[in-house]
Amino acid sequence: MTGSRPVRHPGELRWETRLLGVVTLVLLAFGIAATYGAASLVTVKGQNVGLGFAVRQLSGAVLGGILLLWASRQDYYRWRQWAWPLLILTIVFLVIPLLPFTRSISPVLNGARRWVDLGPINFQPSELARLVVVIWCAMLASKKGAQVREFKKGVLPFLVVLGVVSLLILLEPNLSMATLVALLGGLVLFTSGARIGHFILLGGAAVLLVFHQIKDAQYRLARVLTFLNPGEATTAGGFQIYQSLVGIGSGGLFGTGFGEGQQKLGYLPYAYSDFLFSTIGEEWGFVGVLVVVSLFALFCWLGFRIARTAADPFGQYLAVGLTATIGLTAFMHMAVSLGLMPTTGLTLPFMSYGRSSQVISLLGTGILINIGRLRGKPRTPVRSQRGAAGAGK
Amino acid sequence: MAKPAARIGAIQFALAIGILAVLTRAAELQIVETERWAREAARQRTERVVLPARRGTLYDRNGVPLAITQEFYHVGIAPNELEDIRSAFVLLVRNLGVPAASLNREFQTRKRWIYLHGPFNATQVQPLRDIRGVHLTGEFQRFYPSRDLARPIIGSLSPDRPVGGAGLEAALDSFLTGRPGEAVLLKDRAGRVYDSPNRKTRDPVAGNDVVLTLDAELQEIAERGLDDAIAQMKAEGGDVVFLDPNSGELLALASRQAASGGAPSASTFTDPFEPGSTAKLFTAAALLMRGRVQPTDAVSAENGVWLMPTTSTGVTRKIEDAHAQKGSLTLARAVQVSSNIAMAKFSLRLRPEEQFETLRDFGFGTPTGAEFPGESRGILALPDRWQPNYTRASLAMGYELGVTPVQLAAAYAAIANDGVLLTPTLVREIRDPSGKPVYQHRPEPVRRVVTPEVAAKLREFLREAAGEGGTGERAQLTNYTVLGKTGTAQRYVNGHYVKTEHTASFAAIFPADHPQLVVIVKIDNPRGNYYGGLTAAPVTRAMLQQALASRRVAIDRGLLATRDSAAPEAPRPVETPAGAPPVVVSLPYRAARDSTPPRPVPEVAGRSIREAALALHRRGFRVSLRGLGRVVNTIPAAGEVAPAGSPVVVIAQ
Repeated sequence: MTGSRPVRHPGELRWETRLLGVVTLVLLAFGIAATYGAASLVTVKGQNVGLGFAVRQLSGAVLGGILLLWASRQDYYRWRQWAWPLLILTIVFLVIPLLPFTRSISPVLNGARRWVDLGPINFQPSELARLVVVIWCAMLASKKGAQVREFKKGVLPFLVVLGVVSLLILLEPNLSMATLVALLGGLVLFTSGARIGHFILLGGAAVLLVFHQIKDAQYRLARVLTFLNPGEATTAGGFQIYQSLVGIGSGGLFGTGFGEGQQKLGYLPYAYSDFLFSTIGEEWGFVGVLVVVSLFALFCWLGFRIARTAADPFGQYLAVGLTATIGLTAFMHMAVSLGLMPTTGLTLPFMSYGRSSQVISLLGTGILINIGRLRGKPRTPVRSQRGAAGAGK
Repeated sequence: MAKPAARIGAIQFALAIGILAVLTRAAELQIVETERWAREAARQRTERVVLPARRGTLYDRNGVPLAITQEFYHVGIAPNELEDIRSAFVLLVRNLGVPAASLNREFQTRKRWIYLHGPFNATQVQPLRDIRGVHLTGEFQRFYPSRDLARPIIGSLSPDRPVGGAGLEAALDSFLTGRPGEAVLLKDRAGRVYDSPNRKTRDPVAGNDVVLTLDAELQEIAERGLDDAIAQMKAEGGDVVFLDPNSGELLALASRQAASGGAPSASTFTDPFEPGSTAKLFTAAALLMRGRVQPTDAVSAENGVWLMPTTSTGVTRKIEDAHAQKGSLTLARAVQVSSNIAMAKFSLRLRPEEQFETLRDFGFGTPTGAEFPGESRGILALPDRWQPNYTRASLAMGYELGVTPVQLAAAYAAIANDGVLLTPTLVREIRDPSGKPVYQHRPEPVRRVVTPEVAAKLREFLREAAGEGGTGERAQLTNYTVLGKTGTAQRYVNGHYVKTEHTASFAAIFPADHPQLVVIVKIDNPRGNYYGGLTAAPVTRAMLQQALASRRVAIDRGLLATRDSAAPEAPRPVETPAGAPPVVVSLPYRAARDSTPPRPVPEVAGRSIREAALALHRRGFRVSLRGLGRVVNTIPAAGEVAPAGSPVVVIAQ
């Protein structure tokens, strides 16, 4: 039983959470610098936005940092209690961009409506969904316990909720985020002990669904075809991937130097967000790539360590989900940049420009740290009251 | 429940594989294939641009700029890049002098790019250099500060490219052009180029500056004098050449041609004309050089009309003198009164080859070798095409001979220069951009045409011809003696000579001793008094007076003062029959050229015969041809030293 491992010393398990904090901080700092470099030649209305981007990213880091500290001191069981309300709130936010009369608060950007503008807060509901789905899945999985091995009573409820959330994100449209959300839910379910057979079945269905989606949208088809035919890399569809490869490849071992990358001169789109990893590869070289990959690997290793030693199944599933959110997003972002996957619009957690993603990632990390901090502490009946039925097994 | 741990392990394992894949792929791209990608990156992002080199300046001999290159700018404005549209607008209006209203309209149209062609100069655009959103494109423009002065000679650039298209701009193009630089510029995907000074791979090298031999002041005098003369005489056109006989430097070249609507042209180089009596002196030179005429020899002037027998069968040619002479004429007197009859009679004492040789030695029938492109070689038929009697007489009178004004000037300069023909030149000095001379003109002797003694005698002839009783007396100045010969030739129009159309000319050497100027004035078809002595001679005088009045024209006044005061007392040995020393002409004629040292035979292999002959001729060799086509070899071979005047066999295929 992971939850009942004896604690030898109150400070024994603290290094993991501290190291996690340090890794997060390093990634954040590196991210702000990389964003500044990647955006340094981008101009909007004659103004160089490099510094503006960095400052905004820094403000996001501060806000996210506060949330992280708050969440790390907040008993993660509260998230279990908030799971349903959060899920409903998220669905509401996801619906807003789909409604025809909400264009004033959810304008079309680059052919998609992914943003909700609530006056002072302007964010992407799909980023919130990424966190909430993990919390909700962890909640339900821990509640159901061994029941998850059944289909009707175990997997089906997950499928319904994940299906609804993914569909709403897909309709934005944002296929990559929808896929990611479904994958993350699946991972939590997988951790909780769902049958492999179910996954194979569902995986097959999901592939068909995704393929259908790709066929529907011309730009997605082009991306996939490009991925499958790298020889025609300079055609319009393959331009982004090809430019990403040019950037990374020309970086060589040590890179061109901070801010010296030239792919951002209109060659590589979104050099500061969707293709930040390519910019890092160009400006910092293989060494930079190695450092970034190592930091994310370390993050995941620590996250999974916390998950293994979490005090209860909910904490465990949640920790896996939160770690996977970071790890999987980072991997997919890198894989896209390296031409290992068709182009998607995923950002590099902690690093890419985009405060929604940044704040949510930091909040998730805060929860992860709290799970780590509360290991070894026996759950009081009051706190574990609602989850006891599922967690007690 | 160990299951979650196993599942977490599985997830970790999958992620580890993912990380490994990412690192492997990154290593492949960044370590194995990095050169390929870097090459690709450089290919798509950089652009090689040519940095134009500033074209050299053309100066007159005194440093007056005649053709200069200046940098001009066009201004492009990207309104969405402007930080402060209002202040930028004010700066643009204030510095560029564009109307505020029209510029405002441009801004109102919300264009992404506003282009002001200008051109604007460096001072105007200086305050705009640091404004973001204002883009300057520099461009070199050729500018001729003296406007039309000597423009046909100076020429112009090609309309489409910054290379010489005509005149000296074309002839000196390789000196003036300079070497363009090259830079590698960074460009973004939209093709916009970013300044990146450290990527300049080669600086442009400005072209050389060329100091011409032209004297802007004298050129002005020549052009104005010619214009006045043409207007006054209702003539069709004319040419004026000023040449320094000591150096071969052309000081002024003015032309006006009826064919081009009275516009300036370069006809001093390109259009041969029949000189008439101004060419009498050259047949006289041939006679003197070969000793065929003694100072006392005289022929009958036939009272102005002579039927010259041209064939043995009794066909005659009627030769008339404009100024009918009674009695008999010596050669000197024949030149002085410009007697066609006497010259025709004397010319029969020369074999055609001899007459041809002297005329050719004076440079007729070959280009002078001045730097001007498209120079005419003139017309001088080979003796085997002559009708012997007829042509000898014609040439003696200055017909059947086409000379350009510059050729005529060079030939007269040879007489002024004690018998040595110099290549006329337009280039005095060439300086590299730092001002260091890379070429300085030195007199280029082509050959000795006549001995100094013969040259002196010919000058005496000219003194008489331009003196009292001579046809050219109206050229005479009050204080200085002008040597000169008039010419009045009937014009050959549509296959025959027209008695009512004439080419009037005057060839002058100034001053009489230590000559400093050779002046050729030619008037095409003057109305009224058409004689050269009444038209071209007074024009020459007027121009010489103006040149003397000008402080800037390069006449050595010190030399004028000392020499000319002594001139009237100078002995006149040619005209004193008793004490006259015999003209020193050694036969065969070639030996007379011994005063010029032996010189190496130039390399002419691979050239056309024409080029080879010109090159050899200019070095003072005679040319003997074997074959036609490209020159293969010469005997003596290139580089071997041979005496001047010796024949060089040119073998061509």
